[in-house]
This record gives sequence, structure tokens and C-alpha cells, in this order.
Amino acid sequence: MSDANPAITLTDEAGNGPRVAVKMRGIIKRYASVIACDQVDFEVRRGEIQGLLGQNGAGKSTLMKVLTGVITPDAGSIEIDGQQVVISSPQEAGALGIAMVHQHFSVIDALTVWENVTLGERTKLDKSGAVKAVKEISARYGLDIDPFATIGSLTAGQRQRVEIIKCLRRDPSILIFDEPTSVLTLAESEELFTTLRHVVTAENRAVVLISHKLDEILNATDYVTIMRNGVVVAEAKTSETDARGLAREMVGRDVSLRGEAVALGLMHAAEQTAVTDATFDAEELQARPIVLDINNATVTGRGGVKLLDDFSLEVHRGEIVGLAGVEGNGQATLEKLLMSLVPLSEGDVQVDGEKVKDGRPGSMGHAGVAVIPEDRHEAGCVLDMTVAENLVLDDLDRVSKGRLVSKQLIRENAQKLIKEYEIKTPSPDTPMRSLSGGNQQKVVLARELSRNPKVLVAAQPTHGLDVGAVEYMTNQLRAAAEAGVAVLLISTELEEILALSDRIAVINEGKLMGVVERNEADLETLGMMMGGQAL
Amino acid sequence: MTVDEPTTSEDLLPVVMGPKTGDTRAKGILINVALYAICMLGAVALASLLVILTTDASPFDVIHALYLGSLSEPAAIGRTVEQATPILIVATGLVVTSRAGVFSIGPEGQFLIGVVFTGMVIFKLGLPPVPAIVLGLIAGAVGGGLWAGIAAVLRYWRGVDVIISTLLLNFVAIEVLSFFLNKTWLLQEKVNKQVLPPQSPSLNESFRLPRITIGGFTTTSGIILALVLVALMAFLGMRTRWGFRSRMLGLNPNSAQAAGVSKVLVGGGSLVISGLFAGLAGGVWFTGVNPRVVLGSGGTMPGEGLLTALISRRNPIVIVPVALFFGALRAGGLRLAATGVPSNIVQIVQALVVLAALLPPAILHVAERRKAVKIAQRAAAAEIASQEKVEVAA
Repeated sequence: MSDANPAITLTDEAGNGPRVAVKMRGIIKRYASVIACDQVDFEVRRGEIQGLLGQNGAGKSTLMKVLTGVITPDAGSIEIDGQQVVISSPQEAGALGIAMVHQHFSVIDALTVWENVTLGERTKLDKSGAVKAVKEISARYGLDIDPFATIGSLTAGQRQRVEIIKCLRRDPSILIFDEPTSVLTLAESEELFTTLRHVVTAENRAVVLISHKLDEILNATDYVTIMRNGVVVAEAKTSETDARGLAREMVGRDVSLRGEAVALGLMHAAEQTAVTDATFDAEELQARPIVLDINNATVTGRGGVKLLDDFSLEVHRGEIVGLAGVEGNGQATLEKLLMSLVPLSEGDVQVDGEKVKDGRPGSMGHAGVAVIPEDRHEAGCVLDMTVAENLVLDDLDRVSKGRLVSKQLIRENAQKLIKEYEIKTPSPDTPMRSLSGGNQQKVVLARELSRNPKVLVAAQPTHGLDVGAVEYMTNQLRAAAEAGVAVLLISTELEEILALSDRIAVINEGKLMGVVERNEADLETLGMMMGGQAL
Repeated sequence: MTVDEPTTSEDLLPVVMGPKTGDTRAKGILINVALYAICMLGAVALASLLVILTTDASPFDVIHALYLGSLSEPAAIGRTVEQATPILIVATGLVVTSRAGVFSIGPEGQFLIGVVFTGMVIFKLGLPPVPAIVLGLIAGAVGGGLWAGIAAVLRYWRGVDVIISTLLLNFVAIEVLSFFLNKTWLLQEKVNKQVLPPQSPSLNESFRLPRITIGGFTTTSGIILALVLVALMAFLGMRTRWGFRSRMLGLNPNSAQAAGVSKVLVGGGSLVISGLFAGLAGGVWFTGVNPRVVLGSGGTMPGEGLLTALISRRNPIVIVPVALFFGALRAGGLRLAATGVPSNIVQIVQALVVLAALLPPAILHVAERRKAVKIAQRAAAAEIASQEKVEVAA
């Protein structure tokens, strides 16, 4: 071989285009009666971004777990750089140059960025070396981060940067990204894809991008593999496909429902339906009474940081207002405020014209504000209580006889709601912990809606759900609005906001940047407001 | 899941839970018993080894002494019950705090303050016996509650960690007791103007809690009070809104606050309640078990109440047998010490037995968590499978 460093050769000896970095053949993996991967062939080439598209449960993650040595396949072979290998542990995968950035972060909140980056390394702790490495990598790839910042103080997008830096520091030749944009906004996603492009073109690495968002696959990848129900249903050069074709292969039928279009991140479809929606009447909505009225709300965090800064927003009866914004710009604080978890330092919140005492436990709930929190485990439910108890929580009046709580009434309430909201649970007395994510979400939704709220706040309500559950959730939000509830949808997914909202508000650094009617909204203005430029 | 999903929750039942039969429950109990047996045998083996290495006594002598002191005859059983009484009262209060997610290690201090308050009321107010005892016990409870209240106020006003504040308040309480026992105008005994070492006078027979005597069996009537309190707290915890709320707060404080549970009222309240019980336990111990207060009074007894609550894992009924077990260890330990085994060895033997009792619940807890995760994973797999079915059908 003429080149001294084969790892950076762009072509193989015959000069037939990019070298194959990963070649998986006939991979089979079964879990009891479910086949997660059935005779899967998968290839990744150096210098290219390979997309891996599929719905939740299509087998993408299983395939990647096989590649990273987390699970052992029942059958099949793997070649890395032309060498037949057996990968039986993540350590072996690491030694082969395979690294994965997971969807759920594995950073430690209490530690700083550089400490997290050195985690798991067995050599002597070298602070200045680690800090230097972090600075170097962040400069080279445009991953702006302060090595001395504590992870707990970072936004989701910044945490992901730390994960990527941690991964790049080990200098892997094959990088796998699992749904990397699920917590990122448009701008952050674009930054990430720029980095990825740099990694493959300038450094000849191979990248796998796992996603269920069509736009992402179309914009960021060179080739795409589509999986459905554990088999590869299509492979194509990305430039030769379009969104509709990808979606069809992915779900196995033509995408028609708007809810699904949203779930797939099919911006164009969402926009089309948005404009052609016949029921939309902006003037009529604005004439309705204001139900939720947030006035000059200011919340001050540790060290005097204003988490919400003079934030004002009105939601009318029967209206859906979407609050768009880059993650970590005060949405979480607004959510906590409306769950009575934080007090205001200035301003007030009114429901139906009545001022609500902020920060007093349950006050927002009693005033008629229902919240489906972004992290249902943190504040939406009690995992170690039963499903029936979670369907009540502190709404004890309706399940009490005198001063005593009645088990029978709790059960009756649960049976009614389980049926009404199609919650899949073996029994009302099953611990909440045993339910799947989608069904836990339904329990939260059922409880909040069964209190007949005046206001419904949904924060990232479809995050982490599969297409069917997304459709269910969006239908529920729309039904709530039709029933006269004022709905505030907090989301970082613009597609979701565009598809559901009557008006769109944008938040940046805790401040309201502006509010636009849906039919006046265009991506450029929204993008500018999300970037901090007031309307 | 799509909307026209044909599967019902019944279809999922066998997938998620597996067939539910009496077999599995019997198996669970068997595993429990086996675990305890193994751990206990291990503890006894270690304890025996220790005793052989340090003394002339044989392991059999140790077990025999423990048995003689705690269970051999009605009088021994009476002593066991008597020793268990304050432990039971302390544990009853702590079940309330741990249910609300507050972890206090302050029973020792609250117990001692309870002793001081009870002692001051009985010795200094000059009341007739019955009002003196009743008022003394109430004062003991109030003292313990106030002492715990300091930690509660610090926690919810300034955010001071409860574990640290209750621990430090224990040391303060020891010094408070020492102060009271070193001042003759407070609790120190004085005979014929001669000042004795720091200890209180012995409580006159008529000012003690009445005894329950049936044949050779004799014990303090404090146990009746303790059992009534156990039943009362169990009922309140299981059936009232307050019980439901505190459970919610303990399991997920954020969800609880969003739902309307006040951390200050329910969480701080639970801390004060545990203080009331620990203080009362001090009063009962003084008037019913040990009529003279010296420095170091009570010893590890409040700590054993803490362990009782821990072992019982928030179950308000299980604390009764567990407290009796600790009572038996104490009663047996007294006997063991009388046979010449050094008292620190006696304590180590007790500690080993306690560890053996703590291990099985810990092991089972981990196993349960793993099982719950598995069930969730299987449910997710079932969901994927049913989705496939729908798509095949479509």
C-alpha cells in the first residue's frame, strides 16, 4: 500500500469509491416472540453519513446495539474495515474504533465538563491535558463549550456537545448517533449536522445517523437504510429519494394523517395542511375571553439569573397557543411556574381573571391549570404508586368518604379512566413503574383532563413517543381545545407547533420575542425570533 | 399505538404479568424465609467465632444466655416486652417520617429531651401521682416534638439538611441532659445536702407507670399505650388523606407539590410527629422501665427504634414483631453480660444479628426493582408486537 496511513485513504486499492467501514450481514436477533432484527444487512462507508430510518421498534437500536457490542446477535457476521470480527462487549467495539452518542445522556450532573470527558479513563487524571483537549476539540468541530462549566447548569444541547466531545476524544473511526436531535432545536440540529459533515469529509470517518425524522435524513445523510418491523425494507442514495417516498417505506403505507406527518417531521406536509385547514378563524378566536393570562412574569434563579424575564402571554378559550423556542430558554421554568413548583419574583398569573397564588403547592391545579410536564417521571406521576393512585394524586375530594380515602372510589375512578383513555395496564393496582412510556403519558393526560381543567399546558407532549402515540396525543390536544380548554403547547419541534397551534409565541432567554398568527407564520421569522431577534 | 388499535388491555395481561397463581405468592414467602434463615445462620456463625476468640464461653453458652434472658420464662418475656416498648414508640413515629420521604436520625436527642421534660414535670411540679404521670408523658412528647421542630424549621426556612441537623441536635441533647443532671436545682439527686454523682433521684414507686402482672409475667403498661399508638398511626396512614399525601410526598416530592401537597406542612409535620413519639418514648422509658436517669441514659435504644423502622420498610404493623425482636436482644444481652461476656462483645453480637435482619429486605428490594424494569421492557416489546400485528393487518 502506497499510503502510510490506511485509515485516511479515501478509496480502496482499486479506487472504487469510499472504503467500506462496516459490513453487517444476515444479522438476526430475537427477544422471546419478537424478532427485533431479521436477516439485516447493513453497510457504512468512510467519508459518508449513513442514515438509518425507522419508527420506534423498527429494530434500529437493536442493530446498533449489536454493532457496539451491547448485545450479541443470534446469527450474522460483522466486518470492520474488511476484517471479520466478533464484538462481544462495548470495550471491544471501542477498541475497533466504534463509538456511539446515545439518545439519553450519560453525563454526570454534579461534575464539570472536563471531568465528564475524562470519565472512564484509567490513566492518571490530567486536568490541564483534559481541559486542553476539550478546548481543542470544541474549536476544531465548532462545539462551543466551557470546560469548567458544571453539567447541571447546561442545556440539553450543550450536554449533547459534551457527549460528542467525550466520544471524539477517543478518536473513533466509526461514529453512531442515536436520535441526536430529539432534544435539540432547528438551529442546534443544523450546527450538529455541520459538525458531522466536517467529521466525514475532512477526516474520513464513517457516521451512522439514527433518526425517525425525514427532514433530518434528507438534509444530513448521503445514503439511507430504512427498517420496518426488524427488516430492511429499502436502501437508497439520499439524493435520489424524497420525503414522501421515505415516509411510505417507513410506515408501510402512504402518509396521510396530519398527526403522523408531524411525527415524521415532515415539515412540508404539515405546512400544507396548516394552510388548508378550513376551521381556522383567527378573528373569532381572538374575540373569545382570555382564560390564561400571564403578566410580566419574572422568575429569578440562583445567582440572580432571570429564568423568566418580564414574560407575558394570553391564551383564549378554545385556542391552542404554541410556545416555540430553543431548549433551555425558560420553557422549563414556565412549566414549573404553572405547576406551582416555583414562585414569581414579579408579575402574576391569572386564570379567568382571578390572580393565582404562585408557588403555593397545588394552587395552579386548583385554579384549573392542568399540566402534562415534559419529564413525567420528575413531576407528573409517582412511579412507586399504583396506576389507580396516579389517576387521582391530590384530587382526593372525589375519592373520599368523609375525611377518609376510599379504596373503592379510587378503583372505580381508575377503571373509568383506563377505559376512556385506552390505557394499557394489567390492572388498576399495577405499579406505575411497570407501564410503558406511552401509557404512563396517557395516565398523566387522563388525570389532568379528568379534572375538567380550564387551561391545559402540554410541554413536549410527544417527545419520545412513537407515531401512533403521537397521533393520539395531538388528537387529544385538539379535542381539548374544541371543548373550550385554553391550550398552551410548549415544544421545541417547530413542525409540531406549526401543525397544532392557532397562534405561535416564541421565547428566548426567558423573554417573549413575539406572537404571530399561524397563517402569518413563516419559518424564517420564527427562526429569527428563536435566535433572539424580536419581531 | 394507532387509534384503530384492536388489542385490548386483556390481551396484554398474560404478556405483562404472566399467569398469576397462588404458587408465586407461596414461592415469594419461601424465598423470604430462606433468605432470613441464611442471613441469621451467617450472623450466628460469625458471632460464635467472635465469642470463642475473645472469651472462654462457648457459642452455645451465648445462645443459651440470650434465650434465658429473653424467652425462657414468663418473667424473661416480660422483660423483653418492657425493653421493646420505647423502641416500638420511637419506630411508630419514624414510620411517619420515612413515609413522607424525610430521613431523621434524631430520635436519640428527642428521646433524651423527652426524659428531661418528663422528669422536670414529675419532680418539680409536686403534682399527685396520676396527673403527674399523664402530664409528665405529655411534656415528654412536647419536648421531643420541639427538639425535632428545630430541625424542621431549619430545613424549611434555611434549607439545612435534616440528617445533619438531627444528628448534631443529638449531641446538643446529650449536653442538655448532662447540664440538668449536674444542677441540683434541676434534676440532680441530693441526699442530706450531700451532692451525688450526676444522676437523678430514683422515681418513687407511685409515680411509675402501673405494671401488668399475670402470674410470673410482669411488664410495663406502657406497652398498651405503644400498641394503641401503632394501631392508630397505621389506620391514619392507610386511610386518611394525610396518609395518602405523605406517601405521595415521600415517593415523588415534585409531583406531590404540583398536585398540592405542602412540603412544609406534611414533610415538616412528619418530622415533628416523629419527635413527639421519640419524646414520649423517653417519658415511657423513664416512668415505666428505668426509674433513674444517669448520663448515657437510654443508650442505643432510640437508635434501635430507628433500625426497627428501617427494617419494617414503612410498614406500620411489621414494626411490632421487629421491636419485640430488639427487645429480646436487649433483655438477652443483659443476661449475657451477667455471664461475664464483655459488654462490647454483647453489642457486637447484637449488631451482627441486626445486620442479618437488614440484609434480606435489601436483597428483595433490589430484586423487585429489577423485576419491575423487566415487566416494563416486556410491555414495551408487547406494544411493538401488537403494532406489527396492526400493520400486517393494514
